[in-house]
Parts: sequence; C-alpha cells; structure tokens
Amino acid sequence: MFLTRSEYDRGVNTFSPEGRLFQVEYAMEAIKLGWTAIGICTSEGVVLAVEKRTTSFLMEPTMVEKIVEVDKHIGCVSSGLMADSRTMIDRARVECQNHWFTYNEKMSVESTIQAVSNLAIQFGDSDNDGSAMSRPFGVALLFAGIDEKGPQLFHMDPSGTFVQFDAKAIGSGSEGAQQSLQEVYHKSMTLKEATKAALKILKQVMEEKLNDTNIEVMSMTPETKFHIFTKEELQEVIGNLPESRDVSLKSRSNISRPSIRTSVSVKS
Amino acid sequence: MSLIQDYIPRNLPDYATQAPKQFQFNPYADNGGSVVALAGDDFSLIAADTRLSTGYSIYSRKQEKLFKLSDTTVLGCSGCWCDILTLTRVISARMQIYQHEHHKTMTTSATAQMLSTMLYYKRFFPYYVSNILAGLDNDGKGCIYRYDPVGHCEKNTYVAGGSAGALLQPLLDNQVGYLNQENVEKIPLTKDKALSVVKDVFISAAERDIYTGDGITIKIITKDGITEEKFDLRRD
Amino acid sequence: MSSVLAPEIPTPGFSFDLCERNAMLERKGFSAPKAQKTGTTIVGIIYKDGVILGADTRATEGNIVADKKSEKIHYLAKNMYCCGAGTAADTCMTNSMISSQLELHRLNTNRIVPVVTACTMLKQLLFRHQGHISAALIVGGVDNLGPHIYVIYPHGSTDHLPYATMGSGSLAAMSVFESRWKPDMSEEEGKALVSDAIRAGIFNDLGSGNSVDLCIIRKGSLDYLCPYELSCVKGEKQGSYRYKKGTTAVLTKTVRPIIVEEECVRRVETECMDTSS
Repeated sequence: MFLTRSEYDRGVNTFSPEGRLFQVEYAMEAIKLGWTAIGICTSEGVVLAVEKRTTSFLMEPTMVEKIVEVDKHIGCVSSGLMADSRTMIDRARVECQNHWFTYNEKMSVESTIQAVSNLAIQFGDSDNDGSAMSRPFGVALLFAGIDEKGPQLFHMDPSGTFVQFDAKAIGSGSEGAQQSLQEVYHKSMTLKEATKAALKILKQVMEEKLNDTNIEVMSMTPETKFHIFTKEELQEVIGNLPESRDVSLKSRSNISRPSIRTSVSVKS
Repeated sequence: MSLIQDYIPRNLPDYATQAPKQFQFNPYADNGGSVVALAGDDFSLIAADTRLSTGYSIYSRKQEKLFKLSDTTVLGCSGCWCDILTLTRVISARMQIYQHEHHKTMTTSATAQMLSTMLYYKRFFPYYVSNILAGLDNDGKGCIYRYDPVGHCEKNTYVAGGSAGALLQPLLDNQVGYLNQENVEKIPLTKDKALSVVKDVFISAAERDIYTGDGITIKIITKDGITEEKFDLRRD
Repeated sequence: MSSVLAPEIPTPGFSFDLCERNAMLERKGFSAPKAQKTGTTIVGIIYKDGVILGADTRATEGNIVADKKSEKIHYLAKNMYCCGAGTAADTCMTNSMISSQLELHRLNTNRIVPVVTACTMLKQLLFRHQGHISAALIVGGVDNLGPHIYVIYPHGSTDHLPYATMGSGSLAAMSVFESRWKPDMSEEEGKALVSDAIRAGIFNDLGSGNSVDLCIIRKGSLDYLCPYELSCVKGEKQGSYRYKKGTTAVLTKTVRPIIVEEECVRRVETECMDTSS
C-alpha cells in the first residue's frame, strides 16, 4: 500500500498521481491501532461493546469513558485518537440539541452522522472559516441509535464516509472480529443474543482477560433508550460466556501491531 | 398659553422652539385580515378572509392568506403583508432544506417549533405577522398552533387571530369550547359544525371589523389531503 | 388684573386649560378615549330643480364599526340640510347649534334664510375654534336665489360648488361625479348619480359602509330618504345560536318568601260606564 512513498503525503489538499489522499489513508491506519469496538443492530435494539485498555494498573478504569451518549436515543463509540472523537461527538451532540430546539423532535440517526460527516471532511478547509482541522480526524465512529425507522447502526471512517451496518467492528481487532460477526449475525437475533455475541467476540480479540472493568457495554431499546451496563449487569453477561481457549484471532490481530501503539493508548 | 405651546410647531413656525425633535421611521404596515382555525379529532380547518387593506383603502379583495406548507400543514397569516411574503418564503425554503437533509417531510409539530424559533430569532426586529398554523399531528389528530409576532407558541384546538381576533375568540370560546355554558352536552367538533361556525363567525366579523370582508377561503386538512372552499362576505 | 370692582371676564368659547395636561399624560403613555369618527362618504349635487345630498351610514371607532345606522344628513332649516363628516359629536352639535340660530334668524327676519347665511355661521364657528371642532360639512339647500351646495372644511374655509364630496370616501365619490355630473340633470338621474357616488365610497373606502341615505331639496318641497338603499346585506347565518334553558350558570340563589302580614278584602261595587259626554 505504501510502496510509493512520495512527497504527496505531506498535505491533505493534494492528490497523489494515482489519485490517493495519503493523509486520509494514514488516518485510517491510526484506527487500526485503537481499541476494538463492536456494534450489533437487532430488531429489538442495538448494542455497543468496547474494550477499555488501561496502560497502567494505577489508572482509574472507571474514568475511561468510551461509549458516550449523544442524545437520549443515540450512543456512540469510537476507536482511534480519543481527543479527535471528543470533537466529533461534541458536534453530534450540538446538532442533536439544535435539531430538537428548532424542530421539537429527535434528530434521526442518519442525520446525526451526516452532520458529523460534514465536520469530518472539513480538514484542510482552513480558508473557509479558519477553524477547520488541518488534518483528517484519526477516529472511526460507530453510531447506535433508535429513531422512527427503528434501531440502526452506522459506521463512519476518517474520510467522512458513513455506511449503515447490521454489525460492525472497528479498532485493532476489527478484522478478526468482523469475520466472527459475519458468522454469528442473523436477522432474527435478540438483543440478549447480540450482547452475548459481542462480548464473546470481544473476548476473543482482546489481549487481556475480559472482565467487568476492562470493557464497556451499552444497549438501547425503544423503551430503555441509552443505557450503559452496570458492573452487575456486566458480570451477569460475562458469567454466561462460554470459556474459550481459542487464541487464533488474537494472534492474528497482533501481527501488524506496531510499537507506537502505547503512545496512542496513552492519549486515551 | 397652553394653546400656543401645543400648536405652535404646526401653525406658527416662528414660535417653534429649538428643542430636539424625534423623527421615526416606521417600517411596518398593517394590512389587516383575520384567520380562524378549528381542530377536530380527524381534521383541522383553517379559514382566512381575502381582503388586503391599508388605512381606509383596499389593496385587494381576493388575496389568499393561507399557505399550504405540506400535505398536513397550512399556515394562516395576517398583519404586515410584506413580512408575510418573506416569512412564508423562508419557511418554504427551510422545509425544502429539511426534506433534503433528513429525507422526510416536516411534521406539523416540527414546523410549529421551527416557526417559533424563526420568529424569536428576529426578537428585536420582528416579523409583524400574526400566525396560525393548522395541521394534523403525528397521530392524525387535528391540531392548531397560534403565535405572537416574536415567537410565543401555544397549541390549541380553536383559535381566532388577526384584526378581528379579539371579536371572534370569545365567540369560539362559547360555541366551540362550550365555555360559560351550563348543562350542555360537549359534542366533539364535526367537520360540518366547524364549517358552519367558521362561516358564521366571519359573517359577524365582517359586520363590525372594517379590515375583514369580501370573502373567505377555507382549507380543510384531513389524512386524505387538503380541500378548499370559498365563501362570500360583504364588500363594504 | 382682576379686582372686586373689575372682575376678570372669563374668555368665551372652549377652555383649553387642560390641553397641556392631556398632552403630557399622552406623552407618558396614557391613551385618551377615542372619539367616534365618521370615516365617511358625504356628497351633494345641484340638479335641475334643487339639490341632492347623500351620505353613507357607517360610524367607526378605530377599526370597529361603532354604528351601522348613523344618520349623517342633519336638519338645518326647512329649506336646507347639512351632511357631516369627522367626529360624530362635533358634526351633530355644530349642526344643531347652527340650526337653532337659523331658526331664530328666520323668526327675526321673517323670510326664508339664505343658504349662504348658514354657511357663514358655520365657517365662523369653525374658524373660531381653529380646527379643533373636526367637522367637515356639505350644506345643501334652496333659497330665493336658487339651489346651493357649500363645502366647509374643519378650519373654516368654504367653497360654493355645483357638486361636492367630503370625508374619507370623497375621492371615490368624486371620481363618479367627475365622470358623470352635468348641469341640469333630472331628479332620477341625480338620485342615481348621488347613490352611485355614495356606493363608490361604501365599497372602496373602509371608513364608509352599510347603506345610502339621500335628501332631495326642491323649492318648497323635500324628500328625506333614510335609508334610500341598502348597499350590502348581512350574510345568512348557517347555525342556530339559541341557548337551551338552564345554560346560564346560577351563582347564588336566595329565596325570600313573601310574608303576608295582613289580609284585607275591600269590595268594589261595580259602576256603570260614564256615557254622559
């Protein structure tokens, strides 16, 4: 992919002769260094699960907040540069509130991610209003939400492209996880099954042993709206997971992990 | 004497004082017009007279004051006609943008809220318009929203506004709201009753309000669409 | 200077002492009660045998129709009438004041009072009050010199014309006269023209409305037609607005029984009818 190293990767507003924007592609690489996050959409509702890496056992794990509420009916999980995701989630929240203020109704999930996408592609646009980022955002986002169209899951990458998914994994373990999701997912999945499947896959791709402090799970149904699992709820789901010794996925995802990983994680 | 002091500026310029004099530009006109809207369980009805006037003169005897915003929403405006023209065009544009951005038509309640914020946005140079929004809510029930010129919004089931608003509202309170009536059976508003009440209140308004007359246009909003009816009023 | 020997003579006419106070109150935001204004169409023409006066019948208070049957053609004398536009009270009082003076004048002189006399009296009164009496008038009448139409503006200026219009609908009415008036019209033609002029005011001026009043003054005879014609009819009500008995709330109820303190029966003998005269 990066065989043709050239000066074209220095700016975000110059295509390479092959028609590529290297900085955007590099930004996508940044995501592959991030923590793994999984989202599954069922007819009952939608679930997000993410691993919480702690770089030091002195770190307070409850402070790491990976899944955030955008509005009562929309949740979001990101992978990549945490600080960048904060900017985008801020935008999503503002857009949702503004929509509610102006129209007295919930903003649809698609419209929300469209608004965030508009922010994501503003990089290098600094002569426009002067406040745009000089580089692409280094995060991928999973938006889970419920609106009049029912439960939905959207994925957005640093280029601002967003696609709706039934199930999607992002982050360092995403390749293996996506493979597993494809095997596990079926249309008539219940939310409980989806939660269990998400944790099962997360467990497979995580380096550490999965427990109730190093993961975060959010589920959403039309009734409960945005709900982060409590420790007790996590323990219950973890307790029901089958003990598996399959480490093949884990090793696969570890191959391409470069040494700068720690520095990215520190930012989280 | 007091007489001289009061009337010097007009009649005797030599006696005029050098005190500062305030001149004001009044950017608003009042072009009259009345709007009445009634909501039932499965319909809503909105009517406006068709006289456009200023002072003692008539600009037009057949000016539509009802604006169809969507298949379930109609806006009735009275007040400063130039502000009405601008406001309704901006609303239409905003609704079109919404349609493009969110891939759906704005609901009546969303339109109602948007109108409120649009009006309040011009809090210190308001649109001089009395707005009444009629439509169907998300459950298909009739609903009416009334506004003041700076964006206060109130949901109602029957409303009269515009130049004869103060004359008609008490009549609607009594006839549609059954207010101040004892031992009366409160029958839910039917389309026929609504039509006859709305014609009668406009007949009465044309008797006593000089800015209401010539005719009315009635728009009836149901889930099957919007139908229109016209009715003549006195022309003096 | 006033003293016991020579007391200060109060100035005649209206007192304007409170004008300054009222202006101050209004500046501070007090809104004075509004007078009923007859935003009006009034007209008068000379035709072959005399004059025809016309008026609408609407009186307004702001944007509200205060009176639908306001009579705006006032009696001045047997041979002259006067249409009034402006503040209803001013036109009414001015006309009755001048009317009584004209009657005294007639008794003093023992002859038909000329229309110009009425015109002069009115203009002197109005000029004296510097436009504060807001009465715009059309005086029409027939005297020994023939038919006359006079217009009097609130400040006291007058015109002697063959046809005239006044009030807020004057432009609409004048457009009819300017296109169709000609000297020596017949009575039927004149009536049609005057009522058309008033109708132009009724339909095109919001301050005028309801019906047309006419007054035809000939030498020695007079027709006072009020209303001459209804220009507009009220719309027909669709619903019934009769309330059932018991609709009005009874807030309190007190029963006061009539106590019979004393009973007294007095027999009245039947009398024969008095048929003597």
